[in-house]
Amino acid sequence: MEDIVIVDNLHKTYGKNVIAVDGISFTVKKGEIFGFLGPNGAGKSTTIKILTTLLEKTSGKVTIDGLDVDADQVKVRRIIGYSSQEVGVDDDLTARENLMLQCSFHHIPKEKAKTKVNELLQTIRLAEAADRRLKTFSGGMRKRLDLASSLVSDPKILFLDEPTTGLDPQSRQDIWEYIVKLNREGMTIFLTTQYMEEADRLANRLCIVDQGKIVAEGTPAELKAQVGADKITLRFKIDDHEGCEKAKELMSKLQGIEAVGKCGDGIAAENGLTIITRNGSALVTQVVRALDGAGINVEQLNLSAPTLDEVFLKLTGKTLKVVERKQSTGGWGRRRR
Amino acid sequence: MKMMEMLSEVMAIFSRWNKKLLRQPILIFFNLIQPLVWFLLFTQAFSAIGNIPSFQLLTGTSSYITFFTAAVIIQTIASSALNTGIGLVNDFDSGFMDKMRVAPINKSSILFGRLFSSALTTVIQVAIILAIGLVLGVNIASGVAGTILIFILAALFGIAWSGISLFVALRTKNAETTLSVGLLTTFPLLFLSASVMPIGLLPSWVQQVATANPFTYIAEAFQSLIINGLVWQKIEYALIAIFIVGVLSLGASILLFRRKVS
Repeated sequence: MEDIVIVDNLHKTYGKNVIAVDGISFTVKKGEIFGFLGPNGAGKSTTIKILTTLLEKTSGKVTIDGLDVDADQVKVRRIIGYSSQEVGVDDDLTARENLMLQCSFHHIPKEKAKTKVNELLQTIRLAEAADRRLKTFSGGMRKRLDLASSLVSDPKILFLDEPTTGLDPQSRQDIWEYIVKLNREGMTIFLTTQYMEEADRLANRLCIVDQGKIVAEGTPAELKAQVGADKITLRFKIDDHEGCEKAKELMSKLQGIEAVGKCGDGIAAENGLTIITRNGSALVTQVVRALDGAGINVEQLNLSAPTLDEVFLKLTGKTLKVVERKQSTGGWGRRRR
Repeated sequence: MKMMEMLSEVMAIFSRWNKKLLRQPILIFFNLIQPLVWFLLFTQAFSAIGNIPSFQLLTGTSSYITFFTAAVIIQTIASSALNTGIGLVNDFDSGFMDKMRVAPINKSSILFGRLFSSALTTVIQVAIILAIGLVLGVNIASGVAGTILIFILAALFGIAWSGISLFVALRTKNAETTLSVGLLTTFPLLFLSASVMPIGLLPSWVQQVATANPFTYIAEAFQSLIINGLVWQKIEYALIAIFIVGVLSLGASILLFRRKVS
């Protein structure tokens, strides 16, 4: 697959010594969804703003579809769509007016624009609300409109900066479905996110960024494989310490097990075991058989695959805390017009 | 081709702002409150100024309110100009600015669309002021042609003066700062010009400041159109003042906006 985005040794420093992006290199292939995952302040927004020509880089080279983001700024702008975290729509206008305005920014002739806008309104299920002002719109509706407004020019690549931050679960689901649909129709998508689940669900490949650097890169499966293991957790009746001990002994003898730990340690109420293995699904039957044979009663059995959370934890030594930001940052006491 | 594209971009942004204004028409009147208070009350309290013989000699009228109409128009223009920058700050806050900047448009179109809409607002406001003036007995000596000239000068000065507000807005991206810079400059400039008193009656240090103050030339052009008729020299001076202010403020704004990276 051909590379549509090539980023080579990108640096961005604000002022003299605030390093936002510290030597990042990656490529995005045509037709894929590429995820940029990291906590707040990791340099995600800075990177996406450089890629979309909104911000000047300090050094490095960035090309979009062979066009340099500095030298061919206007040409780059013709082939990209960008949807910011802030949801850049005008609340005083209607949904249709917002889209028509975007069409005029892209110099789309009026008649063609009208058809295009109607199509988009249908797809984002805003056809009925098309002529209402956005003041009455929910967060999800505004975000859908924002997405649509970055699509009027049929961009080759769509840049989404935290597309679902601050949305309710249903709206998040809607946006995910829409992104997947666009991608199936052939659009390349670059998205930043601080949600593990989002990166896991959407991205074909992803970078994990922390403090301006890429700490890992690969498919979600590859990254999870780095952490390696599946996890089987068993839970016993609270007072059944004997059973727990016996089970631990039994489990240690099973083939293909990497480690067995008592997870009761430190968590008083829990009387259980954690079994780490390379191949969880195959082992589960063995575990059940062994326990049954020894007459040990189990309250609960869980099999879980490693999550990107664990990948992130392993790579950076911290958990990815999601900090929700308010959608509109008009500042206190100020009305948005 | 390039020119036509830019024209259509400016038109699109111009009509966006007009729509916004039309949906909150109260904003048109909001800016007028302060100038109207001055128009209605200040002129009453100070109406005796019209009886001063040297005032009559210098201005050609014995009606202070007729003379003061120019000051009210300038105040209206200045207060309308303030909002030009505030509108941009709101666009930065809402993310709409990035949406425009990422589109393949000429950046100056964003500013000009805003400026022209702002000028249109100013013209509407000046029309309201003149209509109220008419009720209060302020007749425009230069007639229809002169009235049109007043509108043209108001629109042009509005655009030039808005440049200052744009500059502060782009520089600070903060509505409060933009607002206070405007509020803090309008009144001193008004009182340090020939808009509330003919220049000949001002103390000599104020006269010196007033000569360098663009408000003086705009005020004198309005005063002559309202009181005396068409005096081309005054209009020329006003146009020169507008040109100088405009080149500086808009030039600085456009440069800053083109360079502004974040």
